[in-house]
Amino acid sequence: MEFQAFKQAVIAAAAARGVAEYELYYQTAESTSVEVFRDQVNDFTAAVDGGVCLRCVVNGKMGYASTEELSEAAAQALVRRAADNAAVLEADTPEVLGQGGKDYEAFAPQADEMPATDALIRTALDAQKALYAADPAVVDGTVTDALAQRLKIAISNSNGLDLEYENTLSAVMLHAVATDGTEKADDFTLKTGALDTLDLPALAAQTAAAAKARLEADVAPTGAYPVVFSPEAMSELLGTYSPVFSSENAQKGLSLLAGKEGEAIAAPSVTLVDDPFYPGSPMPIPFDAEGSPAHCKNVIENGTLKTLLYNLKTAAAAGRETTGNAAKSGYGAKISVSPFTLYLAPGGCTEDELLQKAGSGVYINSLGGLHAGANVISGDFSLQSAGFMIENGKKTRAVKSFTVAGNFYQLLKQITAVADTVKLPRATGITSFGAPRVLVEGLTIAGK
Amino acid sequence: MISKEVCERVLSKAASTGADYAELFAENTLNHSINMIADRVDSINDTVIAGAAVRVYKGLRSVMATTVDTTEQGLLRCAEKAAEALGQGTAALSITLHERLFGDIHPIRVVPSSVSNAEKVALLKEGYFAAREYDECIRQVSGTLLGVDHRILIASSEGLYAQDRQIRTRMMISAVAEKNGETQTGGCRPGRRMGLEMFETIDPKEVGREAARQAVVMAGAGYCPAGVMPVAIGNGFGGVIFHEACGHSLEATSVAYGRSQFAGKLGQQIANPKVTAIDDGTVPGAWGSINIDDEGTPAQKNVLIKDGILQMYMVDQFNGRRMGVPSTGNARRQSYAYTPTSRMTNTYIANGTDNNDDIIASIEYGLYAREMGGGSVNPTTGEFNFAVNEGYIIRNGKVCEPVRGASLVGKGSDVLMNIDMVGTNMECGQGMCGSSSGSIPTNVGQPLIRVSSITVGGR
Repeated sequence: MEFQAFKQAVIAAAAARGVAEYELYYQTAESTSVEVFRDQVNDFTAAVDGGVCLRCVVNGKMGYASTEELSEAAAQALVRRAADNAAVLEADTPEVLGQGGKDYEAFAPQADEMPATDALIRTALDAQKALYAADPAVVDGTVTDALAQRLKIAISNSNGLDLEYENTLSAVMLHAVATDGTEKADDFTLKTGALDTLDLPALAAQTAAAAKARLEADVAPTGAYPVVFSPEAMSELLGTYSPVFSSENAQKGLSLLAGKEGEAIAAPSVTLVDDPFYPGSPMPIPFDAEGSPAHCKNVIENGTLKTLLYNLKTAAAAGRETTGNAAKSGYGAKISVSPFTLYLAPGGCTEDELLQKAGSGVYINSLGGLHAGANVISGDFSLQSAGFMIENGKKTRAVKSFTVAGNFYQLLKQITAVADTVKLPRATGITSFGAPRVLVEGLTIAGK
Repeated sequence: MISKEVCERVLSKAASTGADYAELFAENTLNHSINMIADRVDSINDTVIAGAAVRVYKGLRSVMATTVDTTEQGLLRCAEKAAEALGQGTAALSITLHERLFGDIHPIRVVPSSVSNAEKVALLKEGYFAAREYDECIRQVSGTLLGVDHRILIASSEGLYAQDRQIRTRMMISAVAEKNGETQTGGCRPGRRMGLEMFETIDPKEVGREAARQAVVMAGAGYCPAGVMPVAIGNGFGGVIFHEACGHSLEATSVAYGRSQFAGKLGQQIANPKVTAIDDGTVPGAWGSINIDDEGTPAQKNVLIKDGILQMYMVDQFNGRRMGVPSTGNARRQSYAYTPTSRMTNTYIANGTDNNDDIIASIEYGLYAREMGGGSVNPTTGEFNFAVNEGYIIRNGKVCEPVRGASLVGKGSDVLMNIDMVGTNMECGQGMCGSSSGSIPTNVGQPLIRVSSITVGGR
């Protein structure tokens, strides 16, 4: 059964049960990926997945249920399950469905069409050749992938909201293994973009160099040093701690930023922006998961917390307007709050000047284990790191297998300089995170 | 589910362009979780995952296509897509399926979907309010009761036609405590390959109290110091050290491609002679157990390391082709939408002979990591990290004040050699393990162990 027919079946089932307020959220993803190993296609996947989530209001409470099976029977079961689930909820405030907005920003999707299978295979093969050509230290174990995905989202509700979104993106992944004859080390790069615009030799050179640096790396010495985070590392930190900017977490006592709007929470050099239409964002999206128009806003402006991120429910609880940040962690998930493209705005100094300001310290370009070593509620983190030593204002020898420890809330105040070039290296689902190089004082390095 | 005859037609279509192996995997999964926060039932996630995947191999090439349309026409279209992607050739397989019944080593007495929401809410509230009422410094509690009913069907060109139904139950309570303006967290998350009868042996109140206890202890703790020191790691979820430092590097996913620190080391001493490590998918009722893996191979008890010597890897069929060895019953996938690969089940360091008290007493100055959080590893280099959720300083052989914010980092091959004392109180803890084939339930486990030297990331 196609979605439109399924929708009609749900509408009929809802009417039969006397459910008057409901919304269908439909998401489907078609993805193709190619993996190349030893200059041969090792794995090819053409996947279709996705489903429909129904939420409905019963006695002021919002019940959810979702299904991937689209049939008459599934439609009836969906309404029954969502209504049953609503019945045991103990929601504090009545929940409402979205009405939508007047102005939805137009955006340019990366591509309209899925790339041809041949183009994906050629890209993965070329990327692999480029990796082996980049450095003689690159050896067996190296794999490259090319992938493409077309995502469709549709929201339709009993308030008359009827929105659709479609976006196609493609990407290449280079995973280089390097050896010095005895040890092996690796690194990888994921780059989104139309396949014919990807500079494979440059990506290969960068990935091979990173794998080789990892090979030569020594353990960093224990101590307190100025730390420079690369755009990649800073984006990882921002992504991990982005839930602290959620009004939902603040209202539930899970963010220490509760009640801090209008207060200075960061160094004056810190401006944090959520811009769903940021140029280069792989997933610009015109509406949030409640159908409210997405728009750009400063979360932190020159160190002051201007606003948390809101959806309709948390905005109503706070007596204000939504910021258009309703989000779902999966199509079947409950509506929560998330940024779209969250990035730290560029500062005034160049990347080299930033290293000179640091003088001697540690440059961190890789962080690991953020799901475990970073406590989003307390802000404490202790994270596996790799990068370079900074000596006399310059990157010198590579270092690895050390930790950097601190607290995210304090770190916002410990930022002493921000470089002028933003990169957007991290994307999870429809959310992307970006940052320039950042200099932070007062963190602890544990190594040897 | 899908009949044998339909499977035969789908597999024939899949193999029509010269595949030497064809497989159909279909699933229908009900995921149901009740979530509480701020003393209220806040939401229910209720999802049906239903779809199928067709895989074909030709030599060392694998192709997979997936679909949410599990009608015969939908499956045939999916099979055709896979066959086309494999290339041009003529059918080389004749397909006749025979139903196989592997039996169920995990009988379920109370199927979660047969129990009303109201009864489940009552269970969750027992755990939730036990945490809430534990101490006045508890500021927030969140709780989840999860039920998964995962039905799978696997048919392959080798004649296999088999089904399995995997039911899992888990309660997760997290608590936030505040002392002097500082907040800390604690959690307890037991899960079993069982129905709701799980709570006949696990008291929900104990789950809540344990989460709250950790949060309260840690809220009063100072920061963990940084440096290299001996560490005693507690039993249960402490076994995450083996999971990260070694387990992932023994999966064919990395070994078959030469991207493992332990590739080519069979028969060699890779760990301290005190270490014997096992992956056992057959433990009745255990969180990581399966009757059959996601390629239809029965689960096995695999001794990975015996007295420090590497015995075997964990292998799925496709990577086994590259390695020239059979599957070890470790092929797993989150759902039909993921290509299965070799993964862990219930993985643990077996009991040793050291007295637990002696392990603590042997440390002049170090860390006692009583409760661990999650971690991650780079299987190529073996560099791993994991978080200490509840740690204490050991001074002169005695457990002293609690410390917060620590993580442990190191290299698998080094740390395995440094496990120089192994206690006798082996227990398992439950986790969700993420890798290329998605997020799957796994047990980690060990008795209390001593690592003679490891980098502690504190401040």
